[in-house]
Amino acid sequence: MIHDVRDTPPNIGGASDPLVSFDRVSMIYGAETEQAVHALKDVDLHVDEGTFVSLIGPSGCGKSTLLRVLADLIVPSSGLVQVGGHPPEAARQSREIGFVFQDPALLEWRKILQNVALPLELQGISRAQREKEARRLISLVGLDGFENVRPSQLSGGMRQRAAIARALSTSPRVMLMDEPFGALDQITRDRMNMELVGIFETTGITVLFVTHSIREAVLLSDRVVVMSPRPGRIVRIFDVDLPRPRTLASRDSDAFAELVSLGTKELEEGYGDQIR
Amino acid sequence: MAKWLGVAARSIWPPLVTAVVVVATWEAVCRLFEVPAYMIPAPSRIWMAFITNPESLLFNAGVTLFEAVTGFLIGSILGAMLGTAFAYSRLLARGMMPYIIAANTIPVVAIAPIIILWFGHGVQSKIAVTAFLSFFPLALNMMKGLQSYDRVIMDVFHVSAANEWQRFFKMRLPNALPYVFVGLKLNVTFSVIGAIVAEFVQADKGLGFVIMTTYRTLNMPRLWAAMLLSALIGIMFFALIALIERWAIPWHSSMRNDE
Ligand SMILES: Nc1ncnc2c1ncn2[C@@H]1O[C@H](COP(=O)(O)OP(=O)(O)O)[C@@H](O)[C@H]1O
Ligand SMILES: [Mg+2]
Repeated sequence: MIHDVRDTPPNIGGASDPLVSFDRVSMIYGAETEQAVHALKDVDLHVDEGTFVSLIGPSGCGKSTLLRVLADLIVPSSGLVQVGGHPPEAARQSREIGFVFQDPALLEWRKILQNVALPLELQGISRAQREKEARRLISLVGLDGFENVRPSQLSGGMRQRAAIARALSTSPRVMLMDEPFGALDQITRDRMNMELVGIFETTGITVLFVTHSIREAVLLSDRVVVMSPRPGRIVRIFDVDLPRPRTLASRDSDAFAELVSLGTKELEEGYGDQIR
Repeated sequence: MAKWLGVAARSIWPPLVTAVVVVATWEAVCRLFEVPAYMIPAPSRIWMAFITNPESLLFNAGVTLFEAVTGFLIGSILGAMLGTAFAYSRLLARGMMPYIIAANTIPVVAIAPIIILWFGHGVQSKIAVTAFLSFFPLALNMMKGLQSYDRVIMDVFHVSAANEWQRFFKMRLPNALPYVFVGLKLNVTFSVIGAIVAEFVQADKGLGFVIMTTYRTLNMPRLWAAMLLSALIGIMFFALIALIERWAIPWHSSMRNDE
């Protein structure tokens, strides 16, 4: 199931409007300078609500830029970006976006409970209410008992769990995750993948997930977007129709192996472009 | 809460033992070799000088302490305010920093007579000298601290639609506190020096005044008593700030090894 984005724009004729849409989005860093970088060129991407989409591609192909545009952390040079029919700025202001970075970026001076409750606190939710919600999420990500511990006393995986709970606290419609497990060891990573897939399958949240691992992308996603650098663009999008709920055993099927080798080939082509 | 008090109590023992050993050796050497009192008075002579008229020395110590603490507070607060302005305006920081650094290198003994001329002969001029010295360390550290925030955390605040006040009070200020305490600890030392140097220039009370007058009459045991009192003021002031630091930023790595 491969769409070539050059002749069939994905998701055309979908039943409802996509939750996230990029239309001919380009991003040029330092446009007026000599070192102008074309980080995104004419990106078209449409993501339906409740889908898990992975972005994969070599470093510098604009994956982070794509997420940062969507979160209104940067403004694209041209093109139209929408979340739920609104520009990113409006979506951010109404707290429809959650963002998990590679670095957990917790506040060292706050206990885990207050870290997870931070976005609700910034929103002006009462202490009792936000701490109740934070406790629920801490439990959801498996950090029970660590509410009153400082981040410095947790392992990398646990800190990242807290960051995920924090991103979920405002009940966002879209979760953006930029290589969230990139710094974790393989065992922890597998466990976190299963927890994430569980959260996705039970909440129906929409996820855009950046990774360097094609296996991780196939294991988690409904669709995998393959990108290529210089200029950053989408080269292929393929669907992953493995059954849900997914488990680590999903990796043992022939369909999984096929999708991984397909994705690897696409990726290698992307790297080829880079060398040429 | 009681934990850091316990830690403080436990860490007092080793220096206390050192003090006892040093004082005993000092006393013994002075008696054994009959060292003249104007060179090095024995601890017992210093203690006598203190105990024969403790009110006078304690009053003068109180004056110096008051000048040091008040100048410390005024200088630190003004310094923190300027440092905050610098952190938010690169232009302001670029325009003023060279002069701030230049002013900071003026020796206190050179500027003290001028400040005293401006502020008159009372304690207020000593406070002004102290405030002048306490100003720069906090201005520089406040600026550095407010600028040293983590970019990813700033992104988290942005995605959470935080306003400018929330970014300041919930992120940049707490993040700056370790730097602020570096500045405050420098200021403790500077403020005691500032008060005493200002009293050297002109005063009719305070430990600096006592040191100057006893030097002229070669009343060395009393001079030593005043000198030790000034050290004691500095140590107690420093300990107070260190205690507040322990309470305010227990999360910081500089505090963690004792936890
Ligand atoms: N703030 C920036 N200023 C200038 N260039 C940038 C900036 N951020 C990213 N880039 C450049 O844009 C390109 C895409 O970056 P990025 O989106 O981070 O890629 P990825 O996340 O896929 O590795 C890279 O060449 C990178 O060097
Ligand atoms: Mg990146």
